[in-house]
Amino acid sequence: MENHSLVPRLIARPEFGPFVLLVVEIAVFWSFNHDFLSPQNISNTLAFTVELGLIALAMTLLMTSGEFDLSVGSLFGFSPVLMWTLFNSGLTSLEAGFVAALLVAAFIGLVNGWFVTQLKIPSFLVTLGMLLVVRGTALFVTDGFPQRTWSAEGSWLAEALVGDFFIGPFRIYMSLFWFIAAAIALGYVLTQSRTGNWIQAAGGNPSAARARGVNVSGVKIGLFVLSSVMASLAGVISSLRTSAANPNSGTGYELEVIAMVVIGGTALTGGRGTIIGTVLGILILRVMRNGIVLIGVPGLAYNIFIGAIILGMMALHSWLERRHQAGT
Amino acid sequence: MAEPLIRMTNIRKSYGRVQALEDANFHVNEREIVGLLGDNGAGKSTLIKVLSGAVPLTSGDIFIRGKKVSLRSTSDAIAHGIETIYQDSALVTQLSIARNLFLGREPIKPPRFLNRMDQEAMNTVARDLLKQVGISKNIPPTTPIGSLSGGERQAVAIARAMHFDSDLIILDEPTNNLGVAETQGVLSFVRSARDSGHSCIFIAHNIHHVFQVVDRIVVMRRGKVVADDIDPKTTSVAEVERIITGMSDKEIRDAITDGKPSH
Ligand SMILES: Nc1ncnc2c1ncn2[C@@H]1O[C@H](COP(=O)(O)OP(=O)(O)OP(=O)(O)O)[C@@H](O)[C@H]1O
Ligand SMILES: [Mg+2]
Repeated sequence: MENHSLVPRLIARPEFGPFVLLVVEIAVFWSFNHDFLSPQNISNTLAFTVELGLIALAMTLLMTSGEFDLSVGSLFGFSPVLMWTLFNSGLTSLEAGFVAALLVAAFIGLVNGWFVTQLKIPSFLVTLGMLLVVRGTALFVTDGFPQRTWSAEGSWLAEALVGDFFIGPFRIYMSLFWFIAAAIALGYVLTQSRTGNWIQAAGGNPSAARARGVNVSGVKIGLFVLSSVMASLAGVISSLRTSAANPNSGTGYELEVIAMVVIGGTALTGGRGTIIGTVLGILILRVMRNGIVLIGVPGLAYNIFIGAIILGMMALHSWLERRHQAGT
Repeated sequence: MAEPLIRMTNIRKSYGRVQALEDANFHVNEREIVGLLGDNGAGKSTLIKVLSGAVPLTSGDIFIRGKKVSLRSTSDAIAHGIETIYQDSALVTQLSIARNLFLGREPIKPPRFLNRMDQEAMNTVARDLLKQVGISKNIPPTTPIGSLSGGERQAVAIARAMHFDSDLIILDEPTNNLGVAETQGVLSFVRSARDSGHSCIFIAHNIHHVFQVVDRIVVMRRGKVVADDIDPKTTSVAEVERIITGMSDKEIRDAITDGKPSH
């Protein structure tokens, strides 16, 4: 296997399919409408892409460990609501409200992880329940209305998270750098660190991992916490950027994020995951949403394309997997 | 007499009303390959599951080098130097050979706070170990377990047990579903494990495989150890078969002592 030449090895990588799809997508949209690659469109697309992307990065690790988290969309909506409610009521500064929101999110992740690993309830059910609890709480405390958001400009928190500047004609938000940093850090953890080996083993064969002394429950609980905190962070970033805190925001994000992760080549059943693939998956779906609108396909048709991409990519990944298992 | 490596005394194990083990007594000496034989349902797997921490015993004692131990989980048993090898279940198919070998004990490259695995070191050791257990084909240590054959997977598991100095390596029906060449491979891994100082328990239904490697044969029937000192060099396959299928205790004693059962 070591003597394979470069090209077949590249093609056999799980990231290869998503990469080709992304290139084709961009080329097609660009050929229909050259504005697609205009600095303004790229800047606009990137701003929201990295916010969803932060959630997808954490979800990649969680799914590699064999679990997933449906409560991320609700935390995306709930955390900024909590932060602004604390701030508006005069209880805390904005920064302290932010820290409080992250701590509450971490606690929610802990509860998810505890139910899954200690009570052995499937993560699908646990996090579905948590989705309803968190979303319900957000709606209840706000009566369903958006929170008043003070324009956060000038606060160092807002500067650090969503401060913007221009690189040439591109308007860049600080959140892009946080996303890149998170992608590098989590990619490193997954592929280079021993924790990454444990994450993959936990998803691939938990009883074998446990027998070798790997703390499978600890790994999974940690990843549930990471997932919740990242969703919370993404919600706060989005809220600061748009100066809005709507208890309904983030609805449906959990499925879009999971779709991004599996399109990138991470196995839904656990054991194998790729951060590079997830970054490609994130771009594929966001470029698709943006491009469809730009070339004049009705936005309501978006889901047709997303569904088709998911099915096509799953077919490709399963074919590659079978070839791989056959030892070619 | 020196204390054996492992001694199990009066082991009882019941699954509800099923009595899988009834006062079984069993021991393994240092540097010894013990063949554990018995018909279907005799209690062989249950005995070694108790020893590997996979199931709790109902009553009885386990001693390692004369010291009483309690084995509450498989990681407990591994920490005590008892390693059990199943054909599939002990490895992660998605991970490479090297990553499986070091799972849970990955060497770290300094600086430690980066928590970075020393993958070169892991691959080097893995390559050596594969050679040691006699995998002649040149399989790179980065190959995922999923693309290895059943026999090769067991070789990896045996290599792991040897590398981390397990005192006792248990193999429950390792030659099931293996071809002729692979079976010979597994048998030679077992021999090389003993030659480097490990003890083994070897369970197989094919008596001929057992005869090829073991130093001593133990036979179980209906939850009991009915013969525990059969020497494969002086006993015939037919005699052992008769003991397995069951005769009176007297007949068994006769079979072992003078080799001529009065049947
Ligand atoms: N989990 C279980 N629940 C209930 N009964 C069990 C369980 N495991 C084993 N038994 C029973 O215990 C007895 C001994 O089983 P065991 O698996 O130890 O036999 P064995 O000697 O390994 O047989 P084989 O050669 O077929 O593998 C059998 O009667 C079996 O039905
Ligand atoms: Mg058995």
